[in-house]
Amino acid sequence: MTTFKDSVARLETDIGKAFSEVNHNKRATPRARVNKLLHSNPNLWRGCDMAGQGFHGISTGYPELDGILPGRGWPQSGLVEIVSRHWGMGELQLLIPLMRSIIEQGKWILLIAPPYILYAPALTQAGIDIHQILIVKQDTSCKDALWSMEKAMQTKNCGLVLAWQNWLPGRVLRRLQLAAETSGTLGMLFKHNDSKHSPSPLRLQIKGSAPEDSSFAAAEVTVIKARGNFRPLSTQLDLYQDSLSA
Amino acid sequence: MKDSDTSAQLPLSATQNKGAEIVKLPSPDRSDARHSQPGSSDDGELITSSEPRRRYLWYALYFPQLNALSKVQEARVLSELARLVESVSSTVNFHPQALVCEIRSSLKYFGGVDSIHNKLKSLITPALEERKLGDYFFYSASPTVSSSLLLARSGQNILVYQKENLRSALGQLSTDVLSLDKEQGRRLYSMGVRKIRDIWRLPPDGLHKRFGSDFVTLLGKALGIVPEPTRNYVAPPAFATAYDLPYEIENLDRLLPIIDEMLLRLCNFLRKRDLSASYLVLSLIHEQRGRTEVDMGLRQPSRSPDHLLSLIETHFSNLIVPAPIIGLKLRVKQFDAFISNSDSLLIEERTDRRSDSIGDKNLDQFMEQLHARLGGDALKSINTAAEHCPEYAAQQLNYEDSKAQTPAAGVASNPRPFWLLDEPVQLTQKGKRLYHRQVITLVSGPERIETYWWSGQDILRDYYIARERNGSRLWVFRERSGERNWFLHGYFS
Repeated sequence: MTTFKDSVARLETDIGKAFSEVNHNKRATPRARVNKLLHSNPNLWRGCDMAGQGFHGISTGYPELDGILPGRGWPQSGLVEIVSRHWGMGELQLLIPLMRSIIEQGKWILLIAPPYILYAPALTQAGIDIHQILIVKQDTSCKDALWSMEKAMQTKNCGLVLAWQNWLPGRVLRRLQLAAETSGTLGMLFKHNDSKHSPSPLRLQIKGSAPEDSSFAAAEVTVIKARGNFRPLSTQLDLYQDSLSA
Repeated sequence: MKDSDTSAQLPLSATQNKGAEIVKLPSPDRSDARHSQPGSSDDGELITSSEPRRRYLWYALYFPQLNALSKVQEARVLSELARLVESVSSTVNFHPQALVCEIRSSLKYFGGVDSIHNKLKSLITPALEERKLGDYFFYSASPTVSSSLLLARSGQNILVYQKENLRSALGQLSTDVLSLDKEQGRRLYSMGVRKIRDIWRLPPDGLHKRFGSDFVTLLGKALGIVPEPTRNYVAPPAFATAYDLPYEIENLDRLLPIIDEMLLRLCNFLRKRDLSASYLVLSLIHEQRGRTEVDMGLRQPSRSPDHLLSLIETHFSNLIVPAPIIGLKLRVKQFDAFISNSDSLLIEERTDRRSDSIGDKNLDQFMEQLHARLGGDALKSINTAAEHCPEYAAQQLNYEDSKAQTPAAGVASNPRPFWLLDEPVQLTQKGKRLYHRQVITLVSGPERIETYWWSGQDILRDYYIARERNGSRLWVFRERSGERNWFLHGYFS
């Protein structure tokens, strides 16, 4: 409760300061002032904006995707669900810039029971230090995988935890979401099907475009749900901006 | 008051093989009584000094047979014998082929030198025989460590009670017992010195010049003129604690509070000795059914009760006990030195800079928990290898084995998929069309890979990047020999 009170108090002072500055200094554009204010406090955002946390996300590395995500990027912590009907839609490629930045911070990436062998040469090609990646073996049972995911997200030095699970009950998702939020870790859950009423704050769907009418690198990402968002948004991405020309 | 040379310095029957006997000495009580008599001429000096001088009796055991062993073996045998000797004295120290222990403080308890000697003999002889090192050893006792050693080396099993008598006891020994080097021995011999007594006739300055300070100090130490620092034997740490339950318990969770208490005891023990535990064994004792043992090897030695408890909790989560538990036993199999992380003084700094080391520790704890629950091979790390064949160009290693990580090898410049299938899956071909789940169209390729022609199982493949109608990006190949089938090998995820 105190934190909420504190943030409200801080907001009031911030806004007061901004208004007084606008009034006193007519020459400075009010818009710039307001923007500065929006950047400075994660609890403040534009009402007409697609809400979220202002500019406080971690950039995805894809400007188009940043544009439709609340906070202009991946959330700092929490559970993100990525729905992909089949593997091979570019769901890992979507995370490559994020993985790169997490490894640069010296943190570890943990993959829990991935569906196939994670192929090290491909990661090296993408510029990722594979020695900072750990994998919990493929044939781990669902119960153990979820346990590992929760524990991993509570571990401070794990920057990103990836898991592949379908059909998780809301209770389990809530628990994972809580673990991620309290310890400030980002968890990614890959699944084939979208489950409505999931408590995770961000749910994305990635689709490869039909092979006939578009290029190999194109993918369509739809925000199914984002906390504080009003309508579903979707965008076309070029997944392989520099590498892998089709 | 007849503590003459003859009664205090006792040449025990010289044939050590027959088993030397120690002649009765003035009993400690008597010496104490004498102590309080101010008139006695011997101890007058003792009484006049404001506090009584501490008196020692050092018992030396000399094992000439250890000379045949290597230094390492000798040290091991000596430390094993030291453990036995510890049963009569708390102060045991090591010397070449010899052990020396202080027995003055325990004379009264054991009832004299004789019984101490018999006790030691009964302990040490079997231990020596067990190692095929004969069943004999030389011994002697005197007020200083060095003189005890010299007397023991002489093989005459002499006992000297009074410091004042040391001079005459040592004097009659041959100079061989000083274990001098060849040159010094030769020089002493040519100077006509045969016994230690002869050395004392020489001027000390000249001795110092000719034989060095070590030689003079050794003689000084033997007479108790020069202080002799000693290093004591410290027994290796051992910890075991047990708890008998008042009634049978089947629910493992209910054991946790008890285990918590046992861990606290353990951690206190570790803190006192500045150690940490790296291998623990928790035994759950069943009635008439033996016991269930939980082995816990720690990745990083720890002495935090919380961490250890959470580990045990994890072990319990998939442990099935065959019968109700009536007792618990906790034992440390392996100790390690304690290494602590220093915290910084300033809070800001701690959160910024220190996060790495603290986080690393947490990662280790997480790995231990994972190890405990999923087994040793659960955690993998990946690496690349210099291979042309796609399935051999990547390695998946157990994290434990990959500690000595080889640097990543170079990789192919052609695009590679993130997912590789364990086994290539054969694709169906209908007419000119390829199917996996849906129709596949080739996007780019081929990339020709030919290798392993020398092994008899040639790999002749043309790799293509392809797309399935549903949007999946695939990595497929066609064999260039045999049936010329198509296979799916990976996903560009």
